[in-house]
Amino acid sequence: MNGRALEGIRVVECATMVSGPYCGKLLGDMGADVIKIEPPGGDPSRACGPFPNGDKDPEKSALFLYNNTSKRGVTLDIGKPERRDALERLLRWADIFIENYPPDYFASLGFGWDAVHRMNRGLVYVSLTPYGRTGPRASIKGDELTITHGGGVGYVLPARSVDIDRAPVKLGGCQVGYHGGLTAAVAVMGLLMGRMKTGEGHLIDISLQQVMLTLVGPFIASARYHQTTWHRVPDRPPATGRMETSDGYIVLGAADDHHFRAFREVMGKPEWAASDEWDDMRWRTNHLMDIAPQMEAWMKRQKKNDIYHRVAGAGIPIGPVNTAEDVMNSPQYAARGYFTPVDHPAAGEYRYAGWPYRMTASPPHVSRPAPLLGQHNEEVFRHVLGYSPDEVARLQDAQAIGQASGGGA
Amino acid sequence: MNQLPLQGIRLLDFCWVVAGPYACMLLAGLGAEVIRVESHERTDLMRRSVVWPLHEPSPVRVPPNQGMLYNYANRMKKSITLDLTKQEGIELAKRLVAVSDAVVDNMRPDAMIKMGLGYDALRRVKPDIIVVSSSSRGHEGSEKDYLGFATIHQSVGGLSYITGYPDDHPSHGTPGDADMMNATGTAFALLAALFHRARTGEGQFVDHSQCEGSSTLIGEQLLGYAMSGRIPERMGNAHPVHAPHSVYRCWGVDRWLALEVHTDEEFGGLVRLMGKPELASDTRFADGESRKRNEAELNRLIEDWTCRRDRDWIAEELGRAGIAAAPSRDAKDLHADRHLRAREAFVKVDHPELGELELVGLPWKISDIETPMTRAPLLGEHNQDVFGDLLGLGDDEIASLRAKGVIIK
Repeated sequence: MNGRALEGIRVVECATMVSGPYCGKLLGDMGADVIKIEPPGGDPSRACGPFPNGDKDPEKSALFLYNNTSKRGVTLDIGKPERRDALERLLRWADIFIENYPPDYFASLGFGWDAVHRMNRGLVYVSLTPYGRTGPRASIKGDELTITHGGGVGYVLPARSVDIDRAPVKLGGCQVGYHGGLTAAVAVMGLLMGRMKTGEGHLIDISLQQVMLTLVGPFIASARYHQTTWHRVPDRPPATGRMETSDGYIVLGAADDHHFRAFREVMGKPEWAASDEWDDMRWRTNHLMDIAPQMEAWMKRQKKNDIYHRVAGAGIPIGPVNTAEDVMNSPQYAARGYFTPVDHPAAGEYRYAGWPYRMTASPPHVSRPAPLLGQHNEEVFRHVLGYSPDEVARLQDAQAIGQASGGGA
Repeated sequence: MNQLPLQGIRLLDFCWVVAGPYACMLLAGLGAEVIRVESHERTDLMRRSVVWPLHEPSPVRVPPNQGMLYNYANRMKKSITLDLTKQEGIELAKRLVAVSDAVVDNMRPDAMIKMGLGYDALRRVKPDIIVVSSSSRGHEGSEKDYLGFATIHQSVGGLSYITGYPDDHPSHGTPGDADMMNATGTAFALLAALFHRARTGEGQFVDHSQCEGSSTLIGEQLLGYAMSGRIPERMGNAHPVHAPHSVYRCWGVDRWLALEVHTDEEFGGLVRLMGKPELASDTRFADGESRKRNEAELNRLIEDWTCRRDRDWIAEELGRAGIAAAPSRDAKDLHADRHLRAREAFVKVDHPELGELELVGLPWKISDIETPMTRAPLLGEHNQDVFGDLLGLGDDEIASLRAKGVIIK
């Protein structure tokens, strides 16, 4: 019991911001030994925050701290020709290499897929790029917002909004990056399984645009083969949507006839919703606007959490629109032990979002907090890569490996 | 002939709608054999649905093999029809478990347990079985029986609250994206469990909460709150650090451009293209901080330029100038896109009732591994293969089970 699924699997991550680092975190939290290479100036996510009380310390950026748990960190200026040996030693050591630089970058350093594959036959090489490694748009820049739209999801957001005349609005946070990292991790795991039999590594080419495209794949098919529309459609208020309570919002999903019947019971069957006609979806879909004002007024008199539990308890799909505070104080999440405490030497101890999966035999866990900049240079370059103390010192002198940082700066 | 990495792995798929079926499809895409188990009482409603947004004022039903979401999320699988309300149906399901590696469901927590197909029952049938259950809130806690679907999971999980304009209500994704993101997380956990079993011989139970799945993808926001006590709010299309970073109206009806500028150099390229190079040295916009401070004004200047120009022209010019920009693409744009064509992002399958379907393919490309993409199965298409060839039932036995309605059809 309590083994780590990826114990002994070695990962080298040369990636910044979210997509590649999140992939590395997923593997690290599953037990893999992950070494993250940062440029001497650090992963730019160190500058992104959110920060505690505006303290823009690169050791305290939540985006970096969350996405880099269970990793050792080294700094190495991989662009410098004299650092090729260190990078080569790392790639020979690794089972998995994760990078999210532009498609040709590693090839330009002499570490293209063919070269790396010759160097280490079993290495699984994961490349995450905005538009993939091939095709006419391969070298175009893209990031969270542009890929959301380039991949087709953006155009239909906000889904079911009344504000269809405003510009589309993206999903909060970094959904492209996270979903890209998750998708890459699935492909990596598949190849690790296959490698047990063949010993062969492969190149995984993740186009974040295509990752987003898969999310709207069904709608594209529906538009083409069922002639459905492709627009931000106006909200059809109450039955399946967001409603406002006296102290926040909920999303009510009384979509099926029996759900709506139960919801009318919860409301006490007011006179404007007394007729059983409302339990018929066809009627409801085309007339609900007529009683939307009454429903909205009724909902505005409820308290978010009261109505949540009353409606959910009646077997109707519903959820509160939770703030970060609500999520962190959720008794349901607490009952499942979702949050996990992580003590970081510079940022301090906080509860981090955990994993949505409970695993009885190989549970994920945070084996160490996100690394300080260059924290494991000595350990990795000497004891993993086998450099002598003199060689490590020379690397330091040449400022190819950044100086270990005690936090700050 | 390349061997697919998950060749030899067999999954029993008791899922429906999207979050479960798509998880199993991702594994099928890596070579696993996936057997969909459906009963006739509640066939997957996606088999019959025309997906949102609707082109009719009421839900439209199509014949059971023709729903696009079903055809999208169930490719490369087999389908059997088994009446799980009958004891003999349960016994047959258990015989299938005995020859399978994993069982996946996305029903409410007690559904499989009530049928006698929960983890405790199945591990007696096959001690090293992996059981993955992806429910709304998870298998533990006071809210475990609450119902939900994608947009509710995003709301409970905290994503909806930070999605939308700051001066307006919270929003959420399309009805599909949370499901497919959760499917990807489920697939990752399942693969980790398969890997663990391959190395240790140990099976396990994986309890996945789809609400927590959404929270996991805003981990930095939750940690930011934990560190600062400040609740993250909606930011529309803005970025916490960079500007300009928004979606701009272009010439035409409902045509938009997504644009992200991260450096002074990129900003210089943008204003040169706008014919206003002087803005690069304007004190209001000369560096990142100034641009962020004067973002509203900057956005007005940019939109005044974009709204008189074609979206695709601007995106192409900005792309060439090394700036992240993308048109907000709709279904037709995506289908026609030469880059996606060049990358073979769409794949063709032959459907016996619908003819050729061109659907979005898998979200990765893997060197030297070509997944044979086959269509989603017709309802009960593989009854003979599975009950006859796999379980070795004789023709008489199968005929008798069909006559009793245990095997349907």
